Amino acid sequence: MLHALLAVMVKELRQAFRDKRTVFMMLGAPVIQLVILGYAVNLDVDQIPTVVVDQDKSVQSRSLSQGLLAGSTFKLMTQTQDVAWAMKMLDDGLAAVAVIFPPGIGRDMANGRPVQVQVILDGTDPTRAKIAANSATQYFNNEAMGLALSRLQLEQSRRGINIHFAQIRLEPRTYYNPTLSSSIYMVPGVLGMLLVVVTSIVTAMGIARERESGTMEQILVTPIRPSILLAGKTLPFALLGLLTVAAVLLFGSILFQVPMRGSLLVIFSASLLYLMTTLGAGVLVAAITSSQQQAVLGTMFFVTPAILLSGFMTPIENMPHWIRPLTLLNPMRYFIEIMRANQLKGAGFSELYVQFLALFGFGVLFLFISASLFKKQLS
Amino acid sequence: MRAFFRRVAAMAIKETTHISRDKQVIYMALGMPVVLLLLFGYAISFDLDLLPMGLLDRDNTPESRSLIQAMTASDAFEITKHLDDPNQLHEYFKNGELKTGLIIEPGYSKSLKRNETATAQLVLDGTDGTTAGIALGYAAGVAQAQNLRNMEKLGLMAELPIQARVRALYNPSMDSSKFIVPGLIAMILAIMATLLTAITVAREWELGSMEQLFSTPVGRLEILLGKLIPYIVIGIVQVLLVITIGSILFDIPVKGPLYLLFGTSFLFLACTMGQGLFISVLTKAQMVSTQAAMISTLVPTILLSGFMFPIENMPWPLQALSYIVPARYFIDSLRGILLKGNGFSVLWPDILALGIISLVILAASTARFKRRLD
Repeated sequence: MLHALLAVMVKELRQAFRDKRTVFMMLGAPVIQLVILGYAVNLDVDQIPTVVVDQDKSVQSRSLSQGLLAGSTFKLMTQTQDVAWAMKMLDDGLAAVAVIFPPGIGRDMANGRPVQVQVILDGTDPTRAKIAANSATQYFNNEAMGLALSRLQLEQSRRGINIHFAQIRLEPRTYYNPTLSSSIYMVPGVLGMLLVVVTSIVTAMGIARERESGTMEQILVTPIRPSILLAGKTLPFALLGLLTVAAVLLFGSILFQVPMRGSLLVIFSASLLYLMTTLGAGVLVAAITSSQQQAVLGTMFFVTPAILLSGFMTPIENMPHWIRPLTLLNPMRYFIEIMRANQLKGAGFSELYVQFLALFGFGVLFLFISASLFKKQLS
Repeated sequence: MRAFFRRVAAMAIKETTHISRDKQVIYMALGMPVVLLLLFGYAISFDLDLLPMGLLDRDNTPESRSLIQAMTASDAFEITKHLDDPNQLHEYFKNGELKTGLIIEPGYSKSLKRNETATAQLVLDGTDGTTAGIALGYAAGVAQAQNLRNMEKLGLMAELPIQARVRALYNPSMDSSKFIVPGLIAMILAIMATLLTAITVAREWELGSMEQLFSTPVGRLEILLGKLIPYIVIGIVQVLLVITIGSILFDIPVKGPLYLLFGTSFLFLACTMGQGLFISVLTKAQMVSTQAAMISTLVPTILLSGFMFPIENMPWPLQALSYIVPARYFIDSLRGILLKGNGFSVLWPDILALGIISLVILAASTARFKRRLD
């Protein structure tokens, strides 16, 4: 029996490694994807291109616009006095924010009259627009408070009394990732996606190819039993998957300084459980499709929603309430949660037992369903 | 010339028969865009929505409660746990039950009454840097608003001396879906187009039917064009489908001219399908070409196109790489056409870039596509 299993595994490996390009695709591609993902996925919004329309040209308007641009949030593209020109820049995508200081605000501010500054945003990118809106509002509110307080003090010193004003200060403390870097958050999550690509798709296509070219029948006339055949077809890719895990851990810590606060035992046991699911999904797709083209589309059909509903790119807490229960049915979600919590926060089995139980349950379920479908199809 | 068109048409008919025989592929080609659109449109959101917050109010006075109420007044934070000890936050951060914590130490209200600065601590699980950053900005805004209100209450300020009036153009309610859907159209087209075409030529090699094609008078360019046409039709149907559903469910406007919408979609399809053809001409095996198509299309289209992640934030080598990603130009022009109502005068650089890329890639695949068997 072991002999038969080994024979199938050797055959499968030989077939996979015969084509050097396949080897590159399976081993090199994950690293390339990791590098691009780690560097490209940067949701930090700063240096928002800004056009300043200063129609007042007073000391006050100049100091306000300088103060606004002083941080790294806004980046001055041009300064103009023509509102229409600024709107054209928003239209053409040359600027995302226009700040308009109307004529007379310097005089009004000096005379203690309230003034209005207009901030016009390009709303096509809502994240950037919201950050720009928050940042500008907070800046002008702060300036307003400062102005009000200094007027108050002036008033007080004139009358010879002294009133203090109590302020609420919010002191932020950030655990685990004080610089709020996005790459150390993305990289552990990338594994959840890469493992599907290297295991599910390859398994599904391997079986579909066997059927397409008619070699499946040749294997069936040999004394190899279906369960051995299935094990022989999936185990090599499980090993490959574990290699991918090791490669991502290595490159992640070298290139992106992803910390390793947890234990390798947690990572590899979670990976094994997760691989049961991804390989099972590959066999499942192969069992219900009949050509390689179908198998690819079929896996994409499973994989894309799984990626979206895993919390990999956007937090699950932000999703609408009716979608959130769907994420509970997604094995990738639990795997990514384990990877992130373990690598970044040092969480172990005691904190993550719910996720482990879920992964185990899905792994058994997927393997069972796919194996029985596979056997049924062979007979 | 007439013979050329006849042979291209014959190839296209042959390919259409292939596709129509495989009903499952058609269902997936038309079903997947709808599923993806629904999932992306609803699932992708960077807006804070009830971020779970742990609370430790050791002051427990009307003042501290008013700060807590202000924090949870909108739907950004939700108090889901009451803590006894700040260290409990570590445990809840680790198992993912909480993302933030608000700690108010005793003496908060006394400081306020004594007109001193009162401090509350906002603890963030920083692992998800983006969410933590947004949460921090939001909470800072709440604290500032409290201060302004206090000043008004004390009669120190009748009216804000400087008011910022903020207004968003093109997407006044700042919905994520209006941003995502144009990118989604590009992603769906790129996946389907590249994968399907990458497989179609490779399959002919694998099954040996390429030899049969070579024994006919059909030329290289004719084979490639004939193979592309049916998939371009599928692609255009997908564009129509996604835009129709997008405008019904997510109120995506179509402000610009329709001819530009279809023109740029057509050029983009030519680029991605050309890419698929190029891959399958090079690899000649379905498995390899699938993997190559996934890497060369899916990853750049999602990551290097400005779909979700701003290109300006990337390191320069990736920024440089993004210039050869067709999706970059397509997404930019889609956003312009759908949301801003831009016309040809604004979008011509995008259209020019798409045209050049599609010509180069089609020429390269024809050149590499040799009418002989190795």
